[in-house]
Amino acid sequence: MILQTNKHQDVLVVTIQVKEANLTVSEKFKIELFAHIDGGGKYIIVNFEEVTYVDSSFLGKLVSALKHAITNKAEIVVAGLNKDILGLFQLIRLDKAFKIFDSTDSAIANKGK
Amino acid sequence: MPLSKTILLVDDNTLVLEMMGRALGKEGFECMKAGSARQAMELLKEERPDIILSDYHMPEVNGFEFRQNLIGTEFKDIPFMFLTSEVDSDVMLEGINLEAVDYILKDTPVRVIVTKINNFLTTVREQHERTLKELSKAAMALNLHSVPQKLPVIGGFEVDFWHKPFQNYPGGDFIDFITVDERHTFVVLGDVMGKKWGAWYFSFGFLSYIRAAVRICISEGNFSTKSILQKINSVVYHDPVVNDVLSSLSLVLIDAKESIIKYSGAGDLPLFYYNSKKGAAKEVRSSGMLLGLMPDGDFDEIIVKLSRGDQVFILTDGIIDADTETGKKTDYNSFIKAVTPFLRRPFADFKAGDFLKCKSNEHIDDCSLIYLKRTT
Repeated sequence: MILQTNKHQDVLVVTIQVKEANLTVSEKFKIELFAHIDGGGKYIIVNFEEVTYVDSSFLGKLVSALKHAITNKAEIVVAGLNKDILGLFQLIRLDKAFKIFDSTDSAIANKGK
Repeated sequence: MPLSKTILLVDDNTLVLEMMGRALGKEGFECMKAGSARQAMELLKEERPDIILSDYHMPEVNGFEFRQNLIGTEFKDIPFMFLTSEVDSDVMLEGINLEAVDYILKDTPVRVIVTKINNFLTTVREQHERTLKELSKAAMALNLHSVPQKLPVIGGFEVDFWHKPFQNYPGGDFIDFITVDERHTFVVLGDVMGKKWGAWYFSFGFLSYIRAAVRICISEGNFSTKSILQKINSVVYHDPVVNDVLSSLSLVLIDAKESIIKYSGAGDLPLFYYNSKKGAAKEVRSSGMLLGLMPDGDFDEIIVKLSRGDQVFILTDGIIDADTETGKKTDYNSFIKAVTPFLRRPFADFKAGDFLKCKSNEHIDDCSLIYLKRTT
């Protein structure tokens, strides 16, 4: 399992459990995240706290999950990005596609706002 | 072995697990150890090994049942060897018939076991390399290139590029130069988010859309990079074949007559622009999102006037990824730092320099860099 899942009422926090989020884990990540969306998750927080590096294969899967979520009227937000990963999100304008939070707590507090 | 290989050892005897683990570890293998078939299944879900070495006699689920359980799953293709003390020839035959690549007796000297595994994996690797070569040959024969075979000739400009695919597989980065007439040349740099063959296949899909959109727009007298990007985005967004595949794109139109470039980007990295007269450099950022992500990609169009000596660099993320002591990092500034000392020197020097040599060796991602310079 790439994702460790915690449920806080109707919020799903999925924590990526690898340091390097790259090609070798990206397909597994997509399958697990899609399963959460198909399982009815409507507000999913993808927690990057443990991740130090993310490559474009992995980001591609995250973005394709976002498109799947939009089709299913669900929302995916991201939390816990380190400085480099946050910089990359901003550099390629993923900050326009995802709401970004410092921590899962602030992402949980944001739900419904 | 060139790269570390992972082996999954399955045996209910902890002594055998430890001993084999140590012997294979010394040979450079990464060992995953499971005391039962059930534990092995758990480990397989975490990480895919290059080969599985399993005992036959185990309580609950024996080695044959374990092998049988793997057939019909995504783990079927992982080469499977039995390592057991069972010498009954009927049993041995039954094991081999379960699509196992070998059946090794436990009293075989460890050095021989290690050599057998190494020989097998070398054969697999050689076969893989042969297949890769054949596929590349076929692609060449079909004239499928995701990077140009020659550089465009543009009056008053020098254009060059550097490209290195991930682990030498054709990958998701694509480059194209579309010469419309003496005055107008489009420069295309894209990165399909993925690696190896899957991304490579889609890079052609994207390139076809881009070429078509460019041709349609110019046939209508429209030379706006923003309009072209909007057209491509709209097609990609609605096409079920590619709308699950995301790609970045930098689209630059060189207008040789006006000495300007027009630039629009989709989820791409900023261009790096060097103003020769001022001796100053800066990033040029566009606002567009990845192709196909949203129905409206929020694209803009930036015009940069170029004077003699001015340079523009267009790059994909492989160029800014680095393997550092503390792990992998993505850092745009690392590129700026590396290229700055070369701004007053020929691009060939930077191409031959340590920075790109290092990118070549690190094999983190597909890497592409396009260089434009106003020469007159």
